[in-house]
Amino acid sequence: MTSKQTSKQRLVVIGNGMAGARAVEDILTRGGSEQFEITVFGEEPHGSYNRILLSSVLSGAQDMQDIYLNPIEWYQENNITLRAGVRVTAIDRATKQVSTANGDVVPYDKLLIATGSRPFVPPMEGLDMADGKRKPGVFVFRTLDDCTRIASYATKCKRAVVIGGGLLGLEAARGLLNYGAQVHVVHLATHLMEQQLDADAGAILKGTMEKMGVQLHLQKITTAILGEDMVTGLSFKDGSTLDCDMVVISCGIKPNNELAAECGLKVERAIVVDDQMRSVDDPDVYVVGECAQHRGRVYGLVTPLWDQAQVLANHLTGFDPEAAYTGSKLATKLKVMGVELASMGITGPANEGDEVVQIAEPQRGTYKKMVIRDNKLVGAILLGDLSKAAPLMQAFDKNTLLPEDRLSLLLDFDTSTKTKQMTMLEMPDEARVCNCNNVTKGEIRRCVLGGQHSLKGVMAATRAGTGCGSCKMLVQDIVEWASEGHLDADAAEDAGASNTALTTGAGRIPLGMAPIATQDMRGLTPTELRKIADLAERCNAPTVRITDGYNVDLLGAKKDGLLAIWDQLS
Amino acid sequence: MNTAATATHCPYCALQCGMNLVPQDGLLTVASRDFPTNKGGLCQKGWNATELLAHPERLTTPLIRDHKGADLRPVSWEVALDRIAQEFQECQERYGHDAVGVFGGGGLTNEKAYLLGKFARVALRTPHIDYNGRFCMSSAAAAGNKAFGLDRGLPFPLEDIPGAEVILLIGSNVAETMPPIMQYFDEQKRRGGKLIVVDPRTTPTAKAATLHLQNTPGTDLALANGLLHIAARDRLLDKDFIQQRTGGYEEVRRVIASYWPDRVERMTGVPVQQMVEAAHLLGKASTAMVLTARGAEQQSKGTATVLAFINLALALGKVGKPHCGYGCITGQGNGQGGREHGQKADQLPGYRKIDNPEHRAHIAAVWGIDAADLPGSGRSAYELLDTMGEAGGVRALLVMASNIVVSAPRASHVQERLDALDFLVVSDLFLSETAQRADVVLPSTQWAEEEGTMTNLEGRVLLRQRATTPAPGVWSDAQILTALAARLGYGKFFTAEPVAIFEELRRASAGGLADYSGITYERIKEKDGVFWPCPSPEHPGTPRLFLDRFATEDGRARFHPVRHQAAGEEPDDEYPLYLTTGRVMSHYQSGAQTRRVKALREAVREPFVEIHPTLASHFEINEGDSVQLTTRRGTAEVKARLTAAIRQDTLFVPFHWGGRGRANLLTNPALDPTSKMPEFKVCAVRLEKLARHQ
Repeated sequence: MTSKQTSKQRLVVIGNGMAGARAVEDILTRGGSEQFEITVFGEEPHGSYNRILLSSVLSGAQDMQDIYLNPIEWYQENNITLRAGVRVTAIDRATKQVSTANGDVVPYDKLLIATGSRPFVPPMEGLDMADGKRKPGVFVFRTLDDCTRIASYATKCKRAVVIGGGLLGLEAARGLLNYGAQVHVVHLATHLMEQQLDADAGAILKGTMEKMGVQLHLQKITTAILGEDMVTGLSFKDGSTLDCDMVVISCGIKPNNELAAECGLKVERAIVVDDQMRSVDDPDVYVVGECAQHRGRVYGLVTPLWDQAQVLANHLTGFDPEAAYTGSKLATKLKVMGVELASMGITGPANEGDEVVQIAEPQRGTYKKMVIRDNKLVGAILLGDLSKAAPLMQAFDKNTLLPEDRLSLLLDFDTSTKTKQMTMLEMPDEARVCNCNNVTKGEIRRCVLGGQHSLKGVMAATRAGTGCGSCKMLVQDIVEWASEGHLDADAAEDAGASNTALTTGAGRIPLGMAPIATQDMRGLTPTELRKIADLAERCNAPTVRITDGYNVDLLGAKKDGLLAIWDQLS
Repeated sequence: MNTAATATHCPYCALQCGMNLVPQDGLLTVASRDFPTNKGGLCQKGWNATELLAHPERLTTPLIRDHKGADLRPVSWEVALDRIAQEFQECQERYGHDAVGVFGGGGLTNEKAYLLGKFARVALRTPHIDYNGRFCMSSAAAAGNKAFGLDRGLPFPLEDIPGAEVILLIGSNVAETMPPIMQYFDEQKRRGGKLIVVDPRTTPTAKAATLHLQNTPGTDLALANGLLHIAARDRLLDKDFIQQRTGGYEEVRRVIASYWPDRVERMTGVPVQQMVEAAHLLGKASTAMVLTARGAEQQSKGTATVLAFINLALALGKVGKPHCGYGCITGQGNGQGGREHGQKADQLPGYRKIDNPEHRAHIAAVWGIDAADLPGSGRSAYELLDTMGEAGGVRALLVMASNIVVSAPRASHVQERLDALDFLVVSDLFLSETAQRADVVLPSTQWAEEEGTMTNLEGRVLLRQRATTPAPGVWSDAQILTALAARLGYGKFFTAEPVAIFEELRRASAGGLADYSGITYERIKEKDGVFWPCPSPEHPGTPRLFLDRFATEDGRARFHPVRHQAAGEEPDDEYPLYLTTGRVMSHYQSGAQTRRVKALREAVREPFVEIHPTLASHFEINEGDSVQLTTRRGTAEVKARLTAAIRQDTLFVPFHWGGRGRANLLTNPALDPTSKMPEFKVCAVRLEKLARHQ
């Protein structure tokens, strides 16, 4: 028995993608560096980056350097041995060690498999050249390197074809438009994004993409890539062909299961794990990400992977020994400029009693659908208008009980934010006018009825307008309205002083045209209006304003001109 | 009583509005005073402040409980003070110095806060002193210190606010909590500025905003990171500023790379479009301010949340320039000064640190004691209360100007711990819910009866002037502390005269971050307040901080990478809703004062819960129904108020009442690891309708 150099356990992580890197971060934030010596193997020569934003990099919306999560230095700073670009070739569970392509053997106490997945490339002729190398012009869209290569190749192309009309394929197609090529998408199924959309939404999306300049071909099975030394076109099972000089294959993913299968771990579609994210065969082997199969499901979106990483870190570090992953709710948005699309949960009714609420406006390219079960949202599609995406997403995530008025979830009736202008008569007595001093319209009205006919007097008696002062104009309007022509002049003068506006009470303008604006909004005669205009010009008021209380403000009139104006009016 | 008006300030919040007190028919009435903070305006609380001076319920004599279980009975000051000194001494003889604790308040003047800290360390020689300001601004303080090397509520005077093109206000309902400040925001809007408010509720402040981001409780940090992600993506960062005046952006960049808009939308519930609009408004403005308040700060990740917003402000280059900056809207009247002068477990006067040997030596010299006799760092507020009466916890407690039975989180537990004490002393104006449980109650002076300085949210040191003689039988807290110190054998170290205490405070703060040494009562009167730091009588004070350099060692502001984490408690099947707490306009803090003012009491008579009508319909709850709220800490009964101004997944309860409607029976004392701020603003709650009483 040899004494260990260190009391730390050795944690070996295979894979440095979004799941593996995140798991390592989560392990560190739970004090994992005290417990583990960590070695990370990553096939790509970079540090980790945010794959979810790759299509934004392709479309030019985001700079490449903005998507790096952990650069190489980060691993050094955190005492992690990063073996970037080194491939693990075998796992030996009996001796608890892994071997690498360059012949190293690295022992572990705990192993984390985060090998992720690779693009699924359907069988077809002409993918590769005679020498086994991929034919120039044929790409998959998975890594940062793919992204760079696609971008530089696309600038020289006349026509690019994306095989696969799923989420990533459509994002790639939109990105390619920015490089000046004509872009086509060929898709196997009867409608686009069949994982996330129903047929109606798929049809509307097709129209939207076509308007944008992407040409779509549905129910096409690609059988061959044509061209000798480079891509010249595609041929399909129905016998048709399509000329092109670039192909991007985006047909889904295939979990990287081989290492696990070879070392005897249970693998179905992916590596089978328990609720602690451990292989069902070996408690010292954890699995996370797209290579993990949990309760029969394999996840390809980032949020579930991060949920898994968190559980794994909690369990591995002992931070929360009870931590358990029970599955994730799936929701996604299409990141295609000019297309607003969100989808969550199921796309149509699945159980008896499932309720469907649907609004379609194909003309506008708008489609909204909810699937409701037991008064809770179990699925939704929003296309063309995402104004309700945030609340729906939260209702879906949190199992919120939905309101009886289902349409309010899909449409904005615009009742809350913008309160419409109301007239003094319509304004209820209990409406709070002065926030600072808790004064209602009714209190101001009663104060005036009680004999206060000056703004100053009402302010002193009720305290309305004596806090921040933002309601002063409104208080004044109420006082004027309530005093029905018996407003004391000092009120106007006082308000004029503080608000640089000179106001005349509705009932105080005689000249046979009183009131110039009435409570029932009778309106003015042209003569009356002209008189007011003349008056405004004479006292150099550049702006004439009709207030909510149907008074006329001569904004900017000099205060010392006040008396002269009164004279003219009488 | 004088016949002339006395220029002073409102006794309530951190705005410290100027007011005149005018004698009229033997009483004082409030009159408008044109002071730079409020320009003559006052809210309902201020206008009615004098009603409490001659209030029939006011305490005018010490009360004593002869033994646990006995009733409180009036006694003389001699008897009360002798009993306190005796109990404290016996407690310390049996259990050591650490067995007596002190709990202060953010309403105390600088002089009293300073004296209370000194009393704890010199006369009681206990490390355990903290104050309710810990429940208030501690997260913002911790973040400010980390990022800028200095913590002052606002780094600029209020008059700068209208000059900002865009203001981002997070978790603050100033329109109700600090109404007269709205004139600055109104003026900002009038000049074409934009106001963005982040709040789970559509408060009157949110209604006044150009853009309201109605986020899920506890997700402010994620929102801040999301806004920074968008700003970086859309190339709105001020790279020159980042390079020249800050450090640590790269680590933050890596973190915010994972906060892409769709993800943040799902976390926060704020639509992407609104986030983009907010980020662009802030990023494209030439001047902008970022202001936080309790909504962002009273979380178990409050410090990190504030740091996330500071990161945003720094990355956009909106700090340390005119009409720009990060600021905290402080809450209590002297929350700012209270923490600068030694009322906090880890701090000494002048914002010095109690674990720094040089700082200890300076203060020990001013106090005339040996630095070795100065206790070290004590427990933070909730930790102090949580361990009362337990082995290793304090067994006797002196409470000044705080009503913890109502205002502390998990209040029923705090109440139990108070009852487990061997001895409790409370000094207050009224027989508050906390005083009712005390062994000795001491009646203290009100603001109009005393002199002293307060430091408002701007860092402006103000003078509270005495307008009337104290009610008969009432002592000032400084008199109480001085008399107690004498009985404990430390009389020569203490004086009860405010101006003399302030002179000592000036020396104690000299050379510290919060340097008051150049401030005098006369200068405050002449200049309408003096902004700290003010290191000499010739120094003009510092209205604007950080224009040339930050208070860090290298003069650069620091970015801090921070990540979203769940609240201490998130809704689940058993407790399916969010609960958040806060204030209403007409009440203040635990309501011990405002519930006793007629106009304020009538404005809002009883505690209530805000419920969205949709949520209410699922429970068949109507306006005015009695409902029961239950969390893992306890149950409260309140009246339902239906309003569409709140999210459907969230309930709001104001915290101004004692008894069964006490909001803090429900709140979660999950503490921020740095600031030790409890999570008043988020926990999980269950809602039930109560059967109607016959």
